[in-house]
Amino acid sequence: MSGSGCGRYMYCVVKLTGEEGTLGRIGLDGNEVYPLLSNGLAALVHNCGAEPYGSEDDSVLRRWVVSHQQVVEAAQSQFGVVLPMRFNTIVRDTDERAADINVRRWLASEGDALRRKLEKLSGHDEYGVQVFWDPRVIASAMRGSHPELARLEAEIRSCTQGTAYMYRQRLDRLLRQEVEKAAQSRFTDFHRTIKRCVSDLRVERTRNGTGGRMLMNVSCLVPSHGIEPLSHELEKIDGMDGFETRLTGPWPPYSFATD
Amino acid sequence: MEINDGDLKQGILGLVVTLVEVIRDALRHQAVRRMETGSLTDVEIERLGKALLELDNAIELIKDEMGIAEAVKSVRDGLDKVVDDLIADMVSPPRALAGAREGALE
Repeated sequence: MSGSGCGRYMYCVVKLTGEEGTLGRIGLDGNEVYPLLSNGLAALVHNCGAEPYGSEDDSVLRRWVVSHQQVVEAAQSQFGVVLPMRFNTIVRDTDERAADINVRRWLASEGDALRRKLEKLSGHDEYGVQVFWDPRVIASAMRGSHPELARLEAEIRSCTQGTAYMYRQRLDRLLRQEVEKAAQSRFTDFHRTIKRCVSDLRVERTRNGTGGRMLMNVSCLVPSHGIEPLSHELEKIDGMDGFETRLTGPWPPYSFATD
Repeated sequence: MEINDGDLKQGILGLVVTLVEVIRDALRHQAVRRMETGSLTDVEIERLGKALLELDNAIELIKDEMGIAEAVKSVRDGLDKVVDDLIADMVSPPRALAGAREGALE
């Protein structure tokens, strides 16, 4: 890391008064992680350069991210509640003393908001919920029940070649529309159901590739030891034809650290 | 950069046929829409349908003979991904740590 200036790499914020004891060399690249205190709060940091951590090599990036996660988890077991920072959150200034002051000043000025968030997160874990669906299962269930689809299917069987082609295109279009509508309404149902079982919920971006198409991807804030209602609802969804759920966690509450 | 003559030809053919398919899709879409809005007679529906069917068959034949079915599919998949990523980024900007969490699961 080059460039002028000094930085404090921020892992998380915790409640801490009194001692500024170190957490040891558990940070990125074996850097020493320690607390900077102000006003009953502490930011867990390590000393770094002014530039963010970057690499062309994905495995290096991954190693850093894993280190970051491990520090946050260690902090969570030591302090109970943490407000995790995202990877590569760095507070910097022209020299070491100024960088320290910047962190402490931030803790002081944001103190109330930070305390409020820590309060909200206290006694909770983050879980990830993903629902996958197979559009073909939904589509075939629909073919029987939807009147116009059934009519089109019948007509296609009995008409001439060119007309059959056109009707088949219409059928495909209609089917796709209806399946999309069904997916939308399922999404709304699942969202409502899941929301009732958790303290807070964030809708995340869906990603495709692993095991079927992803219908929804949400981060949930769940009371610790209170995962039962959520996993019960997910079991019900799993029981539905063409749907599959995946529950991951508990994680430190990254998704709920910011508004 | 090394360019193999054969690969270049395949690549260009793949792009050309992809373009033809995209245009074919647009034509097909237009035809079906006109049928749905009732602006085609039964005779016109039959004639359009037959023409589009023959177009489909011709495209498949060309892909087969030139051995570019894979090349065309990969161009189309690539295009789809570009659009998907663009839309997803517009809807919600990427988040480094969320991505890392997903990565840890794979």
